[in-house]
Amino acid sequence: MRKKTSIQPNKAKTGQQTAPSSTKRKWLLPVLPIFFVLTWLWAAWYYGSVFYISREYSFWVQDTRIMEFILSQPYGSLRYLGRAMLQLYRYPWLGGLLMALMLSLGSWLTGYCMRLRPSWRPIQYLPALCYMAVVTFLGLDIFFEARTGLIFGIPFVVLVVLCIWAIMIRSFSRKPVPTLVGIPKDESPRQNRMQLAVIVLCLAAIIGFDQWQRPYVRVICQLLDMEYRQDWAGIQKLARANAKMSNRPMACSYAISLVQTGQVAERLFDIRLDYDSLSIHGMDGAHNNASSLYVPEGDYYGGFIQSAMHASMEQMVMTGPTIRLLKLMTKCALMRSEWELAEKYLTLLRRVPFEGAFCRKYDALLRRPDLVNADKEMALIRLTEPIHDSFENQYQQPLFMGYNLLLFEGRSSNALINSLVVCLYTKLMPQFVERLEPLIGTMPPSIIQDGILLAENKNPGISKSFTGLNVRQAQLQTFFQKMQPYMSDRPGHAYELFPRYKGYYPYYYFFGNLKATKKGYTSLQSSSSGVN
Amino acid sequence: MRHCLSYIIIYSTLFIIVGCKPEAKVPGQFAEAGARADIYPDYMGVVVPPNIAPLNFIVRDSFATTYVAQLQGGGEELLAAAGEDGKVQMDSVAWRKLLVASKGSDVTVNIYADRPDGWVHFQPFTVSVAEEPIDAFLSYRLIEPGYELYRQLGIYQRNLTTFDEVPVYENNREYNDGENHCVNCHNFRMGSTDRMLFHVRSNHGGTIVVQDGKAQKIQFKDSTIITSAVYPSWHPTENLVAFSTNKTGQAFHLYYPEKIEVMDEASDLLLYDAEKNEVSHIIRTSVEMETFPCWAPDGRTLYYCAADPGPYLDPSLPDSMLNRQILAAYDSLRYNLMSISFDPSTRSFGKPQLVVDAQSEKKSISVPRVSPDGRYILYTKGDYGQFHIWHTSSDLWVKDLQTDSCYALSAANSPDVDSFHSWSSNGRWFVFSSRRMDGNYTRPFIAYFDAQGRAHKPFVLPQEDPEWNILLLKSYNVPELTRDAVRISEKDLRHCIYDTDGELATYKQNPTAIVRLDGITGASPKKPVDGTTGATAPQTSPR
Repeated sequence: MRKKTSIQPNKAKTGQQTAPSSTKRKWLLPVLPIFFVLTWLWAAWYYGSVFYISREYSFWVQDTRIMEFILSQPYGSLRYLGRAMLQLYRYPWLGGLLMALMLSLGSWLTGYCMRLRPSWRPIQYLPALCYMAVVTFLGLDIFFEARTGLIFGIPFVVLVVLCIWAIMIRSFSRKPVPTLVGIPKDESPRQNRMQLAVIVLCLAAIIGFDQWQRPYVRVICQLLDMEYRQDWAGIQKLARANAKMSNRPMACSYAISLVQTGQVAERLFDIRLDYDSLSIHGMDGAHNNASSLYVPEGDYYGGFIQSAMHASMEQMVMTGPTIRLLKLMTKCALMRSEWELAEKYLTLLRRVPFEGAFCRKYDALLRRPDLVNADKEMALIRLTEPIHDSFENQYQQPLFMGYNLLLFEGRSSNALINSLVVCLYTKLMPQFVERLEPLIGTMPPSIIQDGILLAENKNPGISKSFTGLNVRQAQLQTFFQKMQPYMSDRPGHAYELFPRYKGYYPYYYFFGNLKATKKGYTSLQSSSSGVN
Repeated sequence: MRHCLSYIIIYSTLFIIVGCKPEAKVPGQFAEAGARADIYPDYMGVVVPPNIAPLNFIVRDSFATTYVAQLQGGGEELLAAAGEDGKVQMDSVAWRKLLVASKGSDVTVNIYADRPDGWVHFQPFTVSVAEEPIDAFLSYRLIEPGYELYRQLGIYQRNLTTFDEVPVYENNREYNDGENHCVNCHNFRMGSTDRMLFHVRSNHGGTIVVQDGKAQKIQFKDSTIITSAVYPSWHPTENLVAFSTNKTGQAFHLYYPEKIEVMDEASDLLLYDAEKNEVSHIIRTSVEMETFPCWAPDGRTLYYCAADPGPYLDPSLPDSMLNRQILAAYDSLRYNLMSISFDPSTRSFGKPQLVVDAQSEKKSISVPRVSPDGRYILYTKGDYGQFHIWHTSSDLWVKDLQTDSCYALSAANSPDVDSFHSWSSNGRWFVFSSRRMDGNYTRPFIAYFDAQGRAHKPFVLPQEDPEWNILLLKSYNVPELTRDAVRISEKDLRHCIYDTDGELATYKQNPTAIVRLDGITGASPKKPVDGTTGATAPQTSPR
């Protein structure tokens, strides 16, 4: 050991002697600061929405008694610390800054601890890049089922190990510490460029993989973020921009935004509803249908407050509390006038950093049913609450779909429209026709008009009871004529035809969601089956 | 040097603690607030046992920044102060002295609050201290309220004289498909931990019976047993346990103040001989449902609840149809309180007797528990069904067996759920589950039961941090009082649960059992259920 340490200064000296001349040095770039900036951009701007949602699917308060559900698990303290750091992602630029600092510092220490020569220096960035690659590969899994403590926990523990290692090296060998922000003196321009090339290429590969294999991850997270902010226009814009991408969380967010803005019977089929498989896994490691990403909110915005509470509680049992669930349960409790319960959840949320605004907003509604009913979001939800009691078990899942298939009495026209649209979505035309009566003599919304025209085949004359269908009748005839060549292989042509007919219900009826139609999920027979 | 550092740390910590707490001194000048303080939990006018832990509480006041509480009784005085959070946490030694001095009399509580315009004094309230102590230990399961899934849960024991809580048994902390299991229905023999049991469902399933410090896993599997053993009751003198065996399902309301319905499709009563590891039927019927067995303290009578779903259910129907029938009739099924005599020497049962006819008044009874002196039966009465822990109509009632009268324990009851209860061994206290604090999370409430058979205003289980009842996201489930602490270690229980398969209880016919089977199937159960997989394991205990 002693021999080795005595050699080090000589090596360093040699390095200094062979350092490039000052004229060449001006072409050198500070790699570590550049890496820091790129990492920050990735963590805050590119992937910030994913980490932001990870925070929403997480929960952290300082009180270790409340965090016992995490602390009692293996590596509980690490998860606890990781969740604490994740709180900074309330503001993605801040969370991203911490992550970039940790990854950059880790890279710097890796280089120092491994005593890398300038030509091998790209290696020091690989652990950080590997971490970014793994996070990208995991996609939604980084927060699904609330295993969020490891997002910061793992880089943190690596950083701690590197720090200890570096302190030991510094204590025993007195190896000089490389520059943190400047340009290392021992680097040649070629070595400098090599480092940059490795970093840029790796980052490009990570982002490329994300765009190629996990394009839905950022979109779903951005949609969820907008959903929590009630940015309905933003959801619609983003979903339509990614209309060919099809997954249930996106479809649910989009449908919620349409219901909230009264456009569900006009624009529901603007996005593809065929549901590609997502890479998402449950606690058991098995592929998951991701229903927990959207069922509680779907139930809530569908007017099924008690069921939203039920779904949230089930998730909370499995994952422990999360900010997202506590917020939703607070709103449910307020809508059910369960003031003490709402207060309980708000008490917990008040202890979560950066949640003051939410708490202040809903604190004001406590014991004020008048304010609850006047809240824009809640008032709209009230319109679709069930009139009569029944049991969830009597309906297909998810409930916000299954219930509407059997709706026979609604609280408002909104409830009727929702029910009609669900019937059209599930292609259950007899149920659709049964519910049309209240609209007789009116000009229904466009999707319902198209549904009526399609139902005409088995219900001759039905369209005469409604006004304004003539234009769409002609459009339907043209559609039938043009579709004749494709009818023999509808699944094979669905994707290519979508851009031409997006938003048009007859296209969806014949070409959309065919897997569900084929599986027979759209039957009414069993409450154990689901609405796909 | 090391000692020096330790002293510095200790003194610094003490300085910080003392420095942060305001001085507990009654202000010299104050104005009268003219009202009582808003305190949480509500301890005003309650009766407490002389051995209870300090009743720490929070004073809620929008303006005050400092509080002082002055408690006086039996010539003793206790002063406690609170900062802006209003948490009055009392010194346990001073509290003990106060309670001992105040036995059989009242403690007066004066609260002062420092508002921007000066100190105010709230109207005082009293806390009565009873002569009789309560059993020192309370066991309960901590689990999220209701619903279908479970993850981290366990049975815990709290020392009521302090704030110490220890796990009796906790399931696996991290999700693991091969290890996940649920524990429920912990039960003790006559308030002693010498003999106890609880069930394990799903992986590692079985009934864990602890006798003489040794745990054993028992499997109750027989084609005649509906599912596995469910609600237990230890015989007071013999080494016997009466169980119900229930086929249970649950349903979730869409739009109704009640949230969940838990309904039995079938249930019978079993007798387990823990010495011989034999199980037999007490009552086996294909239509009628019997549940919640409870021995009288003399061991010569078994009380239970029974319902006749005959008008609503056709047990010959397939399960899917039966479920629909049950859902349709969920609020029509009502249970009466019944009894059946038992001769411990011959182990023979007599004929069922009606004890309380609840059906006739369109009510339903569950969870009968006989007082240790054998005079009172404490039970829950609700509008329908047997899972009253989710029924806001549920209240605590007693039947006085001496006068044959039934009455509600009005002082203990609340508009919300008041259900699952357990007697202290001296019969002067009982603990019960109530959702009165927020409508969702059950908390154990302790009530004094006086010599005249009246219950007094109950108080919630005191916590070191009085805010804990708000912060805790779990329900206290099945509170059971015992005189002593559970002695078997968690490690031994874990070994029994994880490392043993369990012994199969031998099924023996009891010639005196009540057997009424329908002529179509010839047997009450549809199919035996594997207790080890828990695939159809019922959610057996109220949450």
